[in-house]
Order: sequence, then C-alpha cells, then structure tokens
Amino acid sequence: MSGLPRRIIKETQRLMAEPVSGITAVPDEHNSRYFHVVVAGPSQSPYEGGLFKLELFLPEEYPMSAPKVRFMTKIYHPNIDKLGRICLDILKDKWSPALQIRTVLLSIQALLSAPNPDDPLDNNVADHWKSNEKSAIDQARQWTQTYAKSNMNNH
Amino acid sequence: MGNCFKSSSNDDISLLRGNDTESNESTIEPPPFVEPPPPYRAQPEPQRRMPIYHPSPGVSRPANQLSEDEQIKIAQRLGLINHLPTGKYDGTNKKAKECVICMNEFLIGEPLRYLPCMHIYHKECIDDWLMRSFTCPSCMEPVDAALLTTYQTN
Repeated sequence: MSGLPRRIIKETQRLMAEPVSGITAVPDEHNSRYFHVVVAGPSQSPYEGGLFKLELFLPEEYPMSAPKVRFMTKIYHPNIDKLGRICLDILKDKWSPALQIRTVLLSIQALLSAPNPDDPLDNNVADHWKSNEKSAIDQARQWTQTYAKSNMNNH
Repeated sequence: MGNCFKSSSNDDISLLRGNDTESNESTIEPPPFVEPPPPYRAQPEPQRRMPIYHPSPGVSRPANQLSEDEQIKIAQRLGLINHLPTGKYDGTNKKAKECVICMNEFLIGEPLRYLPCMHIYHKECIDDWLMRSFTCPSCMEPVDAALLTTYQTN
C-alpha cells in the first residue's frame, strides 16, 4: 500500500503491540484501511459469551472523518440495525480526530454494555426494550447464543 | 458582513483578541475567486484546481458548488481561524510532544496553532479540522465560544 498515512501505520502498530482487552482488530492483508474486528460481549451484558465480528474501514479522509464500522454478526440491540449499522454519536457528528480506532472500538464495547433505547436505530428492538426490558434482554441473550457463539465463520 | 470570499477581514474580528499578534502570514490562502462561475462557464477546466470545502461535517463540496450561506460560513470560519495564535515548536513545552491529529511528534520549528483551551496542534492539521468543525478535537470545546470568553475576561 503506497501513501498510507503515518497515523494509520502507527495506530495499527499500537493496536498490535497493546491490544484492547476483549477486542481484536487485524488489518486486511490486501487493504490496510480495512480491519477485521472481533469484540467479545462484555460480562454482565446479554452479549456475554458471544464473539461479534465487525468490519472497520478508514475512509480516505480519516482522521478528518470517522471510521466506518458495521457489525457483521447478527445482534439484538436497540442501537444496531439489521444491516449491522451502529447508532453512535462519535461515529457521526461527535467524531473528533483525537479519537482513534482503539477508542471507537472501546465505545462500541461500551454500547453493548449500555444499550440506549431512547436513541434507537432499530425501532422494533427499541420498542421491545422499552416495553419489556426483561424479555428484550432474553432475546438478545438468545441471539448471542444463536449467532455469536465461537463459530466465527457464521456471519 | 458581506459574503465576499476573501478571508481574514481583520477589521471586525480582531477585537476578539485585543492587542494580539496578528498572524498575517497569509497562510490561509483565499480561494481564487469571489463568486461561483456563471453556469455557462461550467466547463471541466476550471474545476481541476477547485478547492474542496466542508460546509458541515461529512459534507465535501468544490468551492464552486457552495451555496451563498455556505460561502459566508466558510469565509467567517477562515477569518476566525486566522485569529487563533500560531507559533513554532521550540521544544520547551514538555507536555505537548505529539500532535494528536497526525500522531507525529512535534519537531523543532514546525508551525503550531494554539487553541483558546490551550491545546496545541500542527497548524496544518488543526486548520484542516477547524474548517470542518470549529471545536477542539481533544476537549470538544467550541472554539468560537472559547474565543469570546477570552475576549470577555481580558
């Protein structure tokens, strides 16, 4: 890859040298701006025990614009829609070039611990969450068992 | 307030920072024209060197496709940025060693820009960001609000 900004090289090296606990991010061998990410479901959350695959792409303008991140593993979460798109302010209007791949992934991990049904991306899931939190959490747990268990080839 | 595209209208904004060193190195180049070309001139040739602006975060547009409001906003922004102090890294600031935008270490003599919240960046890095969002990347403080506070407390 020619012309890869030093910042991206540095971030990649630092991610490898000091990985974030519960998260792996590996650059694609053909495209250094594309990362294969796996986030472990946080403990005490309905996603506990699951391994969630995500894709992360650093657009041409990075770090002036936010990375594009998407869940590849199906997940039942009020702020993540069927296509895996994530409703997270720092990926949109609250992006700042002081943030990094590392901080973005930490925020996504935190979002799994603290779903926010008042700012939904998937209305059905959010309604479920608000009307019957316990049943929604059960459903999220079930989806974790079905879609996010160890078999990482299962999108 | 006109919508003229020339930057750094020093007269009206300089009161924000009193007796400050005017950074008149004209480092922010004014865009090469004042108005969008009339439609009959919309040939490919003038677009080649057209600067790209970001009237709001995530929006990128060549200068000739900006609305009048966007032109005003960008011209004002250029003026405000020009009033933020600049300097050169001399190695004495032990706290700020690295520009968080490019993640490179500051090197002696590199041009820096200081925001009112006291965060420091490479001039080139932060100017690029401030044209998109007038906030400090590190503390998210709106820069124009901080500029006004500086003025009021002086």
